[in-house]
Amino acid sequence: MEGQQYQGELLAYLQSTMRAIEAACTSIQMHTNPAAAEATILSLSRSPQPYKACKFIMENSQLANARFQAAGALRDAAIREWSFLSSDDRNNLINFCLNFVFQHAGSPEGYVQAKVSSVAAQLLKRGWLEFSVSEKERFFYQVNQAILGSHGLQVQFVSINFLESLVSEFSPTTSSAMGLPREFIEQCRKSIELDYLKVFYCWTRDAALGVAARIIESDSGTDEVKVCTAALRFMLQIMTWEFRYSSNSVKNINIFSDAIRPDNTLLNRTECIVVQPGPAWREVLLSSGHAIWLVKLYSALRQKFSRDGFWIDCPIAVAARKVILQFCSLAGTVFPSDGGRLHEHHLLQLLSGVIKWIDPPDAVSKEIESGKSSSELLDGCRALYAMATVTTPSTFDKLLKSMRPYGTLMLFSNLMCEVLKVLMTKESDEETWSWEARDILLDTWTAILTTSSGSSENATLPPEGVHAAASVFLLIVESELKGACASVFNDDSASDYLHASISAMDERLASYALIARAATDVTVPLLTSLFNDRLSRLHQGRGIVDPTETMEELYSLLLLIGHVIADEGEGETPLVPNAIQRHFLDYVEAEKHPVVVLSSSVIRFAEQSLDPEARSSIFSPRLMEAIIWFLARWALSYLMSPEEYKEANHDSGLGSTNQIQSYGSKGIILKFFSEYGNGKTVLDIIVRVCATTLLSYPGENFLQGLTCCQLLHALVRQKNICVHLVELESWRDLGHTFANEKILFMLNASHQKSLAQTFILSTAGVKNSDTANQYVRNVTSHMTTYLAELCDKRDLRSIAEQPDIILLVTCLLERLRGAAGACEPRIQKSLYEMGLSVLKAILVLLEIYKHESAVVYLLLKFVVDWVDGQITHLEAQETSIVVDFCMRLLQLYSSLNIGKISLSTSSALLSDAETDKCKDLRALLQLLSGLCSKDLVDFSSDSSDTPTTNISQVVFYGLHIVTPLISLELLKYPKLCHDYFSLLSHMLEVYPEMVGQLNGEAFTRVLQTLDFGLHHQDVDVVSMCLRALKALASYHYKETTCGRPGLGSQASSGSHPTGELKGGILSQFLRSLLHLLLFENYSSDLVGVAADALFPLILCEQGLYQTLGNELIQGQVNPNFRSRLSNAFYALTSANQLSSTLDRINCQRFRKNLTAFLIEVRGFMRTM
Amino acid sequence: MSDEEHHFESKADAGASKTYPQQAGTIRKNGYIVIKGRPCKVVEVSTSKTGKHGHAKCHFVAIDIFNGKKLEDIVPSSHNCDVPHVNRTDYQLIDISEDGFVSLLTETGGTKDDLRLPTDEALLVQIKDGFAEGKDLVVSVMSSMGEEQICALKDIGPK
Repeated sequence: MEGQQYQGELLAYLQSTMRAIEAACTSIQMHTNPAAAEATILSLSRSPQPYKACKFIMENSQLANARFQAAGALRDAAIREWSFLSSDDRNNLINFCLNFVFQHAGSPEGYVQAKVSSVAAQLLKRGWLEFSVSEKERFFYQVNQAILGSHGLQVQFVSINFLESLVSEFSPTTSSAMGLPREFIEQCRKSIELDYLKVFYCWTRDAALGVAARIIESDSGTDEVKVCTAALRFMLQIMTWEFRYSSNSVKNINIFSDAIRPDNTLLNRTECIVVQPGPAWREVLLSSGHAIWLVKLYSALRQKFSRDGFWIDCPIAVAARKVILQFCSLAGTVFPSDGGRLHEHHLLQLLSGVIKWIDPPDAVSKEIESGKSSSELLDGCRALYAMATVTTPSTFDKLLKSMRPYGTLMLFSNLMCEVLKVLMTKESDEETWSWEARDILLDTWTAILTTSSGSSENATLPPEGVHAAASVFLLIVESELKGACASVFNDDSASDYLHASISAMDERLASYALIARAATDVTVPLLTSLFNDRLSRLHQGRGIVDPTETMEELYSLLLLIGHVIADEGEGETPLVPNAIQRHFLDYVEAEKHPVVVLSSSVIRFAEQSLDPEARSSIFSPRLMEAIIWFLARWALSYLMSPEEYKEANHDSGLGSTNQIQSYGSKGIILKFFSEYGNGKTVLDIIVRVCATTLLSYPGENFLQGLTCCQLLHALVRQKNICVHLVELESWRDLGHTFANEKILFMLNASHQKSLAQTFILSTAGVKNSDTANQYVRNVTSHMTTYLAELCDKRDLRSIAEQPDIILLVTCLLERLRGAAGACEPRIQKSLYEMGLSVLKAILVLLEIYKHESAVVYLLLKFVVDWVDGQITHLEAQETSIVVDFCMRLLQLYSSLNIGKISLSTSSALLSDAETDKCKDLRALLQLLSGLCSKDLVDFSSDSSDTPTTNISQVVFYGLHIVTPLISLELLKYPKLCHDYFSLLSHMLEVYPEMVGQLNGEAFTRVLQTLDFGLHHQDVDVVSMCLRALKALASYHYKETTCGRPGLGSQASSGSHPTGELKGGILSQFLRSLLHLLLFENYSSDLVGVAADALFPLILCEQGLYQTLGNELIQGQVNPNFRSRLSNAFYALTSANQLSSTLDRINCQRFRKNLTAFLIEVRGFMRTM
Repeated sequence: MSDEEHHFESKADAGASKTYPQQAGTIRKNGYIVIKGRPCKVVEVSTSKTGKHGHAKCHFVAIDIFNGKKLEDIVPSSHNCDVPHVNRTDYQLIDISEDGFVSLLTETGGTKDDLRLPTDEALLVQIKDGFAEGKDLVVSVMSSMGEEQICALKDIGPK
């Protein structure tokens, strides 16, 4: 009786819940009061044990949306309460979901089914490591039966979908968040990869086999198609699984390497992930004729549906092609070590299918142009790419020879030529299939030309390949030139586009260069003749026809030539490309060497820009940009190469032929452009061209930037060039103009900085150190003298505000910065004097320009750069001068800025003012960090009797000055915040003893800041604060155990063991850190650092720790949780033989303990 | 006039005396420039070319330093622009009147009474309160091309 009544009540309750959820779902859909509706749904998933209600809704509600939400709620609740559910409950939930999916397989609301099967997958994963093998078998038995098709096509379909969501749950990149540690995810992944993936694969393969046969035989069968598509998709999913455990090689190869650095994966446009499942998969994927079945299936379907043009883009066709592509990328230990025979055979089978998509190229492209879908062709290109990635060039070429009279490379280059031809007929700004095809094919070239990476880039390329490369390059150049001509007159809008696509352009040029280098014998002379042809066209038409098109063609050619004959030298000196070294061996006379001829043509052309008349008619700023870019790139590899330098010194006694033989054709070229050959002349030309761009192209910032930052920097980077540079009259002239002529003050200030730096760096070429220092003085004297004189003027205050004076001061400060940034030990002395002579002026100017934020920033930045360069070299007395100055600077800055409010009417100007303040403060912090480094690295020759400056004291004092300027508002700027906390935590970590000596105000401020940082969102900031905290607590603990005061009386709560309000700072931190760990959100990466900080804190404040622990335990209402919590607390401090010393081993043990502790209790501490 | 209203105009008419010519290419963000006869602070500079092989030109977006309105200009980068002479003077604040005007102490000991505080209510309250508390306040007055305005305020501690 009672039971019945209970049943009745329960039913009523369930029905009312269902109605509430249904109402909520409807209201969300109608968009009436969605917030309340969401709250209703959330309350279901948050309530304890809502499973009955959820199941009831799922089974009884007529509203699909309500069923969907109920499934979601069931998932959330189950994941949350997982650890308290009994194993029967867990099994029931999963079984319920699975059965639900199977029973409602035919339901029209697919999304509900998908949701429920994903819930089943997630729950299965959650319990994966706890379920026994037989439990898992039981689940999978049902699935297997369903997939075999014993319950009909619908069930077959949903069961394959279930597997799909299961596998994606187990793949770390696609799994849903459950708050589980990485180890758990990794274990699941390993288990499924080793024990289940292959089984699943076979099930679906068999399912696909069955339905595919029926599709081909019969005419109807949409359900079969659906099942087959799902099966193919699932197979694809497994083929894209990142196999880690079953194959021996860990990394997945993702190659693009440009000739020098094979690790350069940046430039890859099309993704090709090599599939390496390992030997266990050989039987399934290779031996069973699976690949050929797949290819045949696709062909059969293609044949059958050839009438429907749209079929190519049907899901089943797309899925099948993708699986075939994955088969093409199969590699590694799945193939036996039989000299590649099986692999070749496998690829051959695939190619026999794929070839129908792309061959004959002209016919296929014509079909596409007349309306056929291009996806088959594109997939064909991708298949070639995959094959090229996993084979050597000669194997790749051989593949086709068994079917056709020519090799794969031939087909491939024909295809590429066809694509380029189509591309040329198109408008340049339209993205079409031919763009995409071209990019994929370029990647394929790259894969072919770099498979035997670096050392012998095309040694293995068969002769057909060289031939193919040459003919493709010919077309490439043609199409680039055509594109250049076409693009000349669509300026404005195109220029934006151009900037955006510059990196894409660079990638493309890099692949072009690779192709060109595969056939240098043809391509270098081709480029020379094209270049000369355009030059003569330019000269002949001078004054008669509009030269713009030819100029643009020359621009493109210069970029191409630069990429072909030289490598980019980011951060290191590039060598002459291997391809060029190895070719042209039969040229003995340097003048006729094709690379020399080509380089000389370009240099001669550049030289013509020195003539004012030619400059005005031919050398547009854009063309000059290309010339400067080319010269910079070229000079790094060829001009007075240090290699040649060495060789010449070594081999001066040997015959020249001998040298050529040992160094290949490189020797000839390098010798030609060496200091003994034409090097000096070329260098002189380059310097004069630079001077021209700086003096005769007023306002062309980009061009001048290239000149200063790329070309001139490239020159002074090499000592052997500097040696000759400083001797050149043209260089001296440029230096003279720089110091004395107004015109170079018209350059963009940052370019002036770069120029000053260049001049200082060129002293590397001055032999004697006194002369070098004198050189520096000569370069910098105009800057220091002017600033000093300006500050002595009586009417300074009134003239300083004149715009021309501001401009001049700005330029001089930038120049000083440039000079200060080029500090080398040899010239440190003169740069120190340079700085010293303007110190007074800097303080004066800081005051005068207090409202001119741009000038203030430059002043601060100059000091930062100067101190950075100098500090480690300074002697004791110099150090104290510099440090005194820095402190005066800080004080002055602070007195001028503290309490200042900007009252601008414009919000943009207000926020600018804020940004400026932030930049200034960052500079000040950088200055303090710079000072810190004196304690770490010191090259001074001090004897111990001279009094040294206490750097840590100074920096703490500096921080004390700066901190009041940094408001909480300003700490929202991430860079400033980061700088500030890294300096602070560095100081606390390295000098914890200084903290005890701080005065009360400074002390409180430091601690408040730390507390603020602990609750910051940025993981880095929090971990820096934790490290600081660790240092403070450890220091205090170690000192107090030795009976010393440590951080002093403010630090500990020793006299108030229970005092909560009067507790010292360490107790406050213990409290807030525990709170953070237990109740707040943070990244799991922080647990380790937090453990390091928590351990010494606990040791310092044992009494408080006990109290806090007891409070937490008493606060738990649920007795089950209470005992778990108290056990966990006990284990935290006693497991793993933790003792109370602060050594490394103990800290590591505590890290482990804390991780275990958090896993154990955080779940219920946070949610209950 | 809205904040978004843009003005394109070649230089030339900046008739005011207190300006200096400066090459457009050297004017950077945060610098000053005269656009449409108004002194402005540059908040954005971008360069482009007139046609692919033409010369560079600068596109300035600037904000009127007095009324906060946004102005724009395009100038070939080798040409000159006018740059205003912006002067700033600090005065001690003596009094704030009911209608928002302030009384300032000049260097020569006289008073200057023709300037008003910004109209922003929150700010005004803050300043008045600070003044009433007896804080020592210094105001910076910015002047350029015949106009002046209070641009900043600094608290130099209690009296």
